[in-house]
Amino acid sequence: MLPTKQPYSWNLIGIVTCLVILILSSAFAVKTFTPEPMVLEIPSNFPKPTYDFANNPLTKEGFELGRKLFYDGSLSKTGDISCGSCHQQYAAFIQADHDKSHGVDDQLGRRNALPIFNALFKKSFFWDGGVPKLDFVPVNPLENVVEMDMKLDSAILKLNASEKYRSLFKNAFGVDKITSVEVLHAFAQFMGAMISANSKYDKFVRKEGETLTANELEGLKLFQTKCSSCHATDLFTDGSYRNNGISLDFNSDKGRAEVTDNPADIGKFKVPSLRNVAFTGPYMHDGSFETLEQVLEHYNSGIKQSVTLDLQLMNKDGKPGIPLTKEEQAKIISFLHTLSDFELLHDNGFSEPNH
Amino acid sequence: MKNALIIIALLFSVSVYANEKDSTIINKTGFSLDFKNVFGTAPFEFKKEYTTAFGEKLNFVTLNYFISNIKLTKKDGSEYIVPQDSSYFLIKHLDSTSHGIHLNGIPAGKYKSVTFTIGVDSVRNTMDVSKRTGALDVGARARGMYWVWNSGYIFFKLEGKTINEVDSLSKNFQYHIGGYGGYETKTINNIKVKTIELGKIRVSSKKHPTIHIQVDIAKFFDNVNPLKVAEHRSVMGGPFSGKISENYFNIFNLENVTY
Ligand code: HEC
Ligand code: HEC
Repeated sequence: MLPTKQPYSWNLIGIVTCLVILILSSAFAVKTFTPEPMVLEIPSNFPKPTYDFANNPLTKEGFELGRKLFYDGSLSKTGDISCGSCHQQYAAFIQADHDKSHGVDDQLGRRNALPIFNALFKKSFFWDGGVPKLDFVPVNPLENVVEMDMKLDSAILKLNASEKYRSLFKNAFGVDKITSVEVLHAFAQFMGAMISANSKYDKFVRKEGETLTANELEGLKLFQTKCSSCHATDLFTDGSYRNNGISLDFNSDKGRAEVTDNPADIGKFKVPSLRNVAFTGPYMHDGSFETLEQVLEHYNSGIKQSVTLDLQLMNKDGKPGIPLTKEEQAKIISFLHTLSDFELLHDNGFSEPNH
Repeated sequence: MKNALIIIALLFSVSVYANEKDSTIINKTGFSLDFKNVFGTAPFEFKKEYTTAFGEKLNFVTLNYFISNIKLTKKDGSEYIVPQDSSYFLIKHLDSTSHGIHLNGIPAGKYKSVTFTIGVDSVRNTMDVSKRTGALDVGARARGMYWVWNSGYIFFKLEGKTINEVDSLSKNFQYHIGGYGGYETKTINNIKVKTIELGKIRVSSKKHPTIHIQVDIAKFFDNVNPLKVAEHRSVMGGPFSGKISENYFNIFNLENVTY
């Protein structure tokens, strides 16, 4: 700063006083803003998280607030559809008994819901991977006219009008005015902390005293040779987009191509995780299969051949399919049942909070 | 007690402000960018009827665009880059207070050109939500300027109606142009970086230039890729969006510089 002709003394007193006030007021603020840090244990058999909590420190208050928002139907246009309406805990956080999700005014979405657990590890979100960052996931269902049909700014106005929410946001993030930063961070804390890693299979691979039956073990071996090239790692997905031959008509839903505009991506959808797959039927992005038996028979004999069909699903004889006898299919299914995490389904920490 | 403290603080801050006034002026060297939307030689207004070069009669209801990553270049090629966190602006035709961008703390000197992005750079498109406040806040100012399902900012948005002369029925059109190039896979990239030559402008404590930029919506249609509304009524991403971004890249032009 350049020197001025004015005396400095008043300036100095002013600055010192301001500093004192600042320190005093921050001391007051600290008193009301002391969220309790929450520590997440990353399962030893999982890959590295993709979400960085460094930008959004995980706390008990932030997580609880995210949970409240997740189950709050007033964030929809009609007041009755919450995230929890389509991501139900007893169905491993998908919408039970629906092949296409049901949103406001009972409108049908065009795709089958995806589960939300292990969001911390996902490379992208939604069947076409349209959203690369967890922070921005909730804006999609909120604003989608067939899901919750509520613009984010309207939701934020609503939250600011609620004394209860204002105090919860203050406790969690130390803010007086709620903005999209805190709302989206709260959602990310709830979803990010929802880790599903306590299935029979997990306890078996982590050597925590579980054993698999002979049938399940044979199923695991078959799975490793026939399925794990796509359903890879202990997340059971490699996060890529592929066409596994369930349809020939992609006019109403082009899949990954809707994001990339690349014709080579038409009919490709994200390889879903198979954790808790026993609960997440109906299956596939369009909900076209009711049971795991149907899914396995599809891979054996039902694959439809289109230009973008994954080459791994082609046999040397030029015919598509993963040959599997009925017996082998049954073994794979018994293995898939070992991926059920009953602790996730019954953990009260993830359920709808009591009012 | 608390009230008394606040009053004392207020009094002192006023005295600090009064004393510092003349020294901060020197620090406040700056310049402004002023965006003036026009349709050919006419001023641009909503709900007013215009005719394109292809004879289509239309009116407009929305015109918004992002301007970001502003920098000034001197004759010797050295640049002053506006600090990135404060270099995002959303110009909304409806909100005339948004038409002017005022930047302070620019080093005094002579500059020959100004450069800005029409849109939002790819890095910012995938940053943590805490880095997307102000003009970029999808839950406030940037409402409607963000694709929620294929996430990314809409860089340029023009909407309106065409009017059929025979039956005077009107039909909507909309152009939502964005595309930052993709996160894990390459996708459409419509980020356009525009440099406008200024001749020579001077920034000093006494001279605060305002660079007036004309944005000619008539040329949005009549440009390198002729755009007939009847043929492309709705463009929201997709390959043709690239053609439209080539068009609007050309519609930002210098009108003049005033002090
Ligand atoms: C009307 C039903 C419905 C509502 C309400 C709903 N979702 Fe979803 N959700 C879906 C469907 C369907 C999908 C898959 C859609 C797609 O991929 O296009 C999905 C996908 C997701 C995914 C992606 C998971 C993955 O593996 O990619 C997340 C995360 C998610 N929703 C979170 C939320 C949150 C948070 C809310 C509330 C703000 C919410 N959902 C509200 C139906 C719903
Ligand atoms: C070439 C890659 C690939 C291989 C190999 C593969 N899958 Fe899949 N799988 C996918 C894709 C992609 C989807 C989602 C397709 C869609 O919805 O459009 C999927 C979906 C599924 C689903 C539905 C999950 C849900 O929640 O909707 C099940 C179950 C499944 N696969 C099991 C298997 C089994 C068992 C094997 C081995 C026999 C196998 N997959 C082999 C790519 C593959």
